[in-house]
Amino acid sequence: MPRTFVILVINPGSTSTKVALFENEKEVFSKTIAHAPADLAPFKRMADQYDMRLNIIEKTLQSGGVNLKSIDAVMGRGGLLKPVLGGVYAVNACMLEDLRRAERGEHASNLGALIADAFAQKNGVPAYIADPVVVDEMDPMAKVTGIPEIERRSIFHALNQKAVAGKVCAELGLRYGGARLIVAHLGGGISVGAHRSGRVVDVNNALDGDGPFSPERAGSIPAGQLAALCFSGDLTLADVKKRLTGRGGLVAHLGTNDIRVIEEKIRNGDERARLVLDAMIYQIAKHIGAAAVVLDGKVDAIAVSGGLAMDESLVMKLKSKVGWIAKVMVYPGEEEMHALALGALDVLNRRVQPGVYA
Amino acid sequence: MKNQTVFRILVINPGSTTTKVALLENDKPVWSVTLEYAPERGSSSGGMLGQFDFRLRDVERVLDSKKTAISSLSAVAVRGGLFKPLEGGTYRIDEAVLDDVRHGRVQIEHASNLGVLLGDALAGSSGIPVFFIDPVSVDEFEPIARISGIPELERKSFVHALNIKATARVLAEKLGSDIHDLNLVGANLGGGISICAMNKGRIVDVNNAVEGGPFSPERAGSLPSNSLVRLCYSGRFTLDEMKKRLVGQGGLVAHLGTQDAREVEKRIGAGDAKAELIYRAMAYQIAKEIAAMAAVLSGKVDAVFLAGGLAHSALLTGWVRERVAFIAPVYVLPGEREMEALARGAMRVLRGEEKAKIYA
Repeated sequence: MPRTFVILVINPGSTSTKVALFENEKEVFSKTIAHAPADLAPFKRMADQYDMRLNIIEKTLQSGGVNLKSIDAVMGRGGLLKPVLGGVYAVNACMLEDLRRAERGEHASNLGALIADAFAQKNGVPAYIADPVVVDEMDPMAKVTGIPEIERRSIFHALNQKAVAGKVCAELGLRYGGARLIVAHLGGGISVGAHRSGRVVDVNNALDGDGPFSPERAGSIPAGQLAALCFSGDLTLADVKKRLTGRGGLVAHLGTNDIRVIEEKIRNGDERARLVLDAMIYQIAKHIGAAAVVLDGKVDAIAVSGGLAMDESLVMKLKSKVGWIAKVMVYPGEEEMHALALGALDVLNRRVQPGVYA
Repeated sequence: MKNQTVFRILVINPGSTTTKVALLENDKPVWSVTLEYAPERGSSSGGMLGQFDFRLRDVERVLDSKKTAISSLSAVAVRGGLFKPLEGGTYRIDEAVLDDVRHGRVQIEHASNLGVLLGDALAGSSGIPVFFIDPVSVDEFEPIARISGIPELERKSFVHALNIKATARVLAEKLGSDIHDLNLVGANLGGGISICAMNKGRIVDVNNAVEGGPFSPERAGSLPSNSLVRLCYSGRFTLDEMKKRLVGQGGLVAHLGTQDAREVEKRIGAGDAKAELIYRAMAYQIAKEIAAMAAVLSGKVDAVFLAGGLAHSALLTGWVRERVAFIAPVYVLPGEREMEALARGAMRVLRGEEKAKIYA
């Protein structure tokens, strides 16, 4: 009888912190703690929120009757670290130092390893992170752009991309190291990754405005026109950034980033809404096509995931554009907590060695 | 057999540093002359229109020396410019297009805009018809292709339409078919690179070589938007300098100091690893754009073709072919066939195979 491992998972987001307890693959406790903007306002830097978030998580676990004595490991969401290969990493001093300094950017996920480490220390168990957004397995050729000082960088939804790739392989009986997959993560941001030999060798960087437009991001924009907009004198850098991230894409065209609202508009005959949503699907399809080239056209499957994959009409339209490349498999939603727990389980079951962050 | 008449067509193709002039009988060249201009002459006062007088005189001198009388011609065919968006085809030059060019109502100032003025001036009152064919402003986009993630920045259709459509016709003939019965992905590989999805002869999407797509010998192509914006606000560049980094001084030349693909290949042959990485990256981006256009056509692609000057490179086309062969058979049809394409465009109308389109 294999033993049961108990894993505490900590996933800090910009306006909430998710905590969960897993017994092997089974989630036995989970809570999303919302943080009101007023509670976050006093903190200048992300690392300053550490005590506040730690305290509230402890209280939440206590009142939920969670016994931390039995935990075998703590898994935190990875943050903006140095570029790393995908996988599970043991939390170490070097990682904590980098996250406190936040030289590669401030993001709530930077707190994941810091808080996980606190719980791990208290209970004398190891702490890990898995597949942070900075996973970089990109082919050097894929990083080149037409302006030498601008490099395409690998920053993407690595956690969900890898988790979905794992599910596809399990379903098709493939080894991830031998599979050739295209994974499209369709959420507030969209990333399309080409997975080959266990690595994501090319992926668009949604955070840097690369790729299809998405519910809240503008994606790739005609370069000359974008430069002209920057020099128009009408907009500050902050204004333009907002047009690209947060207020770009569907929300810019239709005033909402909510796909259900948009589908409702379309059902009510809103032709503009239909055209804009179809255009987003069209751009996703073009990127999936491009990703097929990265795999020389030998693609075992295309997997579609994320919140937008719950929209059946969207998925159907996408399939009609890219079904010729490979079969399309759908994994709606995003199970970050589950994916993180599985990462810890792999280590506890000695299926993988955790990487060392340096 | 259809009409056996021999058509004599004068073709005029003004580029930024040349005017190419040729006489064709049907599609066979009788003579051809390339008039060359120093780049600084192009930027002389008066802008593009300021070049009209001396370019016209030079063409007239060529006609004199070749003893070619306007009255002996069946038609004049000229290169079209960056006019308002138009569907592809052969257009009869009329007052509307002349007026737009004279008053700067064009999308971009470019020497090719002069073609219609030169053609019209040469024909004068002779009654000889003057046509322009498949200008760069050919726009056959589906509405869906126009939308970007910032509503006021629409994707626009600029395309090497003349060479792409002419090459597509050559390929269709080779396949014993007609471009109106084929779905093609066509790439024009030159100083700029255009890759388009052709649905039954219509260019329904193209990367727009001055705004995005693969980087090319002289152009930057698509860039991550945020990185581009940061560079624009860095204070290090003016808008003009940024524009040059995007078109003219981007791509191969920015990385390697040369836009000459032969030079780059020589360096690769001598073991220059950086040159190889950059050149391979360009091929990689070309292949990705081709597959993106295949997705536009839902994978229903009869053939992929590679045209333009860079398609002479066996190395480059070999790398691209390897990656896109899964889509459809790949045909390499190198070079520009602009002069012949212009003559053929005029002939299709003279023979009654097509009706001349109206600009206005």
